[in-house]
Amino acid sequence: MSDRPHLLLVDDERSIREPLAQYLGRNGFRVTAVESASEARLRLAANAIDMVILDIMMPGEDGLSLCRHIRETSEIPVILLTARTEETDRIVGLEMGADDYVLKPFSPRELVARIKVIFRRVATGGQRVTAPDGANYSFAGWMLKTQERTLVDSEGVSLPLSTAEYNLMLAFATRPNSVLSRDQLLDITQGREANAFDRAIDNQISRLRKKIEPDPKNPTLIKTVWGGGYTLSAEVRKL
Amino acid sequence: MKKLRLWPQSLVGQIIALVAIALFVAQAINFGLLLRERQRLELTGQTAPAVYRVVDALDNRVEREGDRQRGRMRARFVTGAPELTGQARPDVERRATVMFEDVGLRILSVRAVQTSEVMPVRRWERIRMRANGDGPHDHSVGLLTLAAEYEPGKWVVAQARSGGDRPQRFGGWLVGQTLILYVIVLLPLLWMGRRLARPLKQLTGSAQQFARTGAADAVDERGPGDVRDLTMAFNAMRARIIAMLDEKDRMLGAIGHDLRTPLASLRVRTESVEDDAERARMSETIDEMNRMLEDILSLARAGRSTQAAQKVDLAALADAVVEDFIELGSPVDLADCDRAVAFVRPQQIRRALRNLIENAIVYGDRAHVSVLHENGNIRIAVADEGPGIAEDRMEEMLEPFTRLEGSRNRETGGSGLGLALVRAIMAEHQGELRLANRPEGGLEASLLLPG
Repeated sequence: MSDRPHLLLVDDERSIREPLAQYLGRNGFRVTAVESASEARLRLAANAIDMVILDIMMPGEDGLSLCRHIRETSEIPVILLTARTEETDRIVGLEMGADDYVLKPFSPRELVARIKVIFRRVATGGQRVTAPDGANYSFAGWMLKTQERTLVDSEGVSLPLSTAEYNLMLAFATRPNSVLSRDQLLDITQGREANAFDRAIDNQISRLRKKIEPDPKNPTLIKTVWGGGYTLSAEVRKL
Repeated sequence: MKKLRLWPQSLVGQIIALVAIALFVAQAINFGLLLRERQRLELTGQTAPAVYRVVDALDNRVEREGDRQRGRMRARFVTGAPELTGQARPDVERRATVMFEDVGLRILSVRAVQTSEVMPVRRWERIRMRANGDGPHDHSVGLLTLAAEYEPGKWVVAQARSGGDRPQRFGGWLVGQTLILYVIVLLPLLWMGRRLARPLKQLTGSAQQFARTGAADAVDERGPGDVRDLTMAFNAMRARIIAMLDEKDRMLGAIGHDLRTPLASLRVRTESVEDDAERARMSETIDEMNRMLEDILSLARAGRSTQAAQKVDLAALADAVVEDFIELGSPVDLADCDRAVAFVRPQQIRRALRNLIENAIVYGDRAHVSVLHENGNIRIAVADEGPGIAEDRMEEMLEPFTRLEGSRNRETGGSGLGLALVRAIMAEHQGELRLANRPEGGLEASLLLPG
């Protein structure tokens, strides 16, 4: 019984909570479903919870506040369920340190896939990949704006990035000067938009190089590491 | 024909121009009347001495006749029409006739001539001229000869000096007086005008800003009463519109949330449906509803964007959007293009371009995207290989909830909001959505943005 990861599902909507708990149960998880943040706090204190699936909009204490509480007291991963798509709300949520988020209405399969990605990362002792928190990163005259998924050049002109390019760029910007293998890159970038990333990493790297390298033939920013993978060779400042 | 730009466009300018013109016309009329009166006086002044002599001569005719040689001849009596040399003065004749009638003398006919010669100026004339500011030199004095027929065939002829034609100094007088009037009337008017114009200008600025951005500062309530009333009314309207727009946003947010929750519930439940095909169709329908909801919310929010405009390379933007489609295996390609920088909100342009590409794929099988520089504008063109749209239905396609009937892919549905949303986004960017059938077949939809 304890082999099965224990999920705490927090959602005030019964019409979502109950079928979702059933579905997650059928997919190999032990699920405790509660309808409020206060109840969730009790369960967190009493049970060994492996992950929290958290609705943002709830009467009483909302999901964001609970998420902050969880992050302050433990390392339990959190996935946010949100009905809002206004970007400002998204950012506020992710600053609270959630690991990922899905937008309602979501595909339960996708939710399960994301849960599994996070568990795999935890199992392999991987670094916590919090979802982009609205911060911007600057390196070598460029700025990566996470809110708009654009790179801004030294003249202040924005170059919008495709989803795959953006995910790669974010992976590099958050881990500057460390070597990332192709598998690692796939892992990191696939976590968020699983279906949008099935082309070879190399292809995306070369697209990125075309955009940011002064001379794409002789890359100085995104360098190839023999036998290892790629590394962003630049000073990155988080803004 | 090009309109003359002399006439001022502003309210204050027009009022001032109008007042200036009216003042000038009034002055001119005044001047005309004065001139006429003055000429009449002058004529009377010229005529009176001669008339007086005639009257005097006729009154004293009896004594005079016997005493003809005594003293200087002030008037002489002749029989038969006298020979008069000099310039005829019909105006003096008319005036003299009237004057004779006024004193009750019956005169049959009057003739008057004037000879102009330089004569010594008399002392009293010199005094008068000095009083008028005229120089006493070069003054030609006319000699007026007046002949009156007091009985048939009998004439009396008298001579008198006339003042001659004194130079007219009226023109300068008019200009001077008009200038004084202008200063007295126009200066306060100018001050008043500025008082009026400043709040009006502010009001205009605020209204324009509101039209552009959907938000504007309140205008200071100052200036004359009716302008203040207008400002107050504008401020009240502005506050009400902002409140309504805010209310709309809140309501849309609530609707979005309230509809998404049951959709999410439904979406989760579909997973318990055993039949795979049935389950896929259900979740497709739910996704479709969600997309529609998103479109409605986006369209309703259009024009009140919170994202700031920035310099964006539209070629890179098109590349990123096309790349995302290619990732998903969609038949989209992008022609090579140069950097094309425009001042836009990138997320919205992405959205607009995505909508056009989706349409092209659904109705036209493939999407060919290109970014072009055109007359200082940047055009992002999305061409497809479909049947195109009948010319008379193009305009209709841009209206919300219009869908192309007889499309090859009826099942695809869509809310019919796609192009309406694109058009709203373009309007917000002072751009344009253009649809055209391609000569080689298929439709070309373009986003035109100021570069």
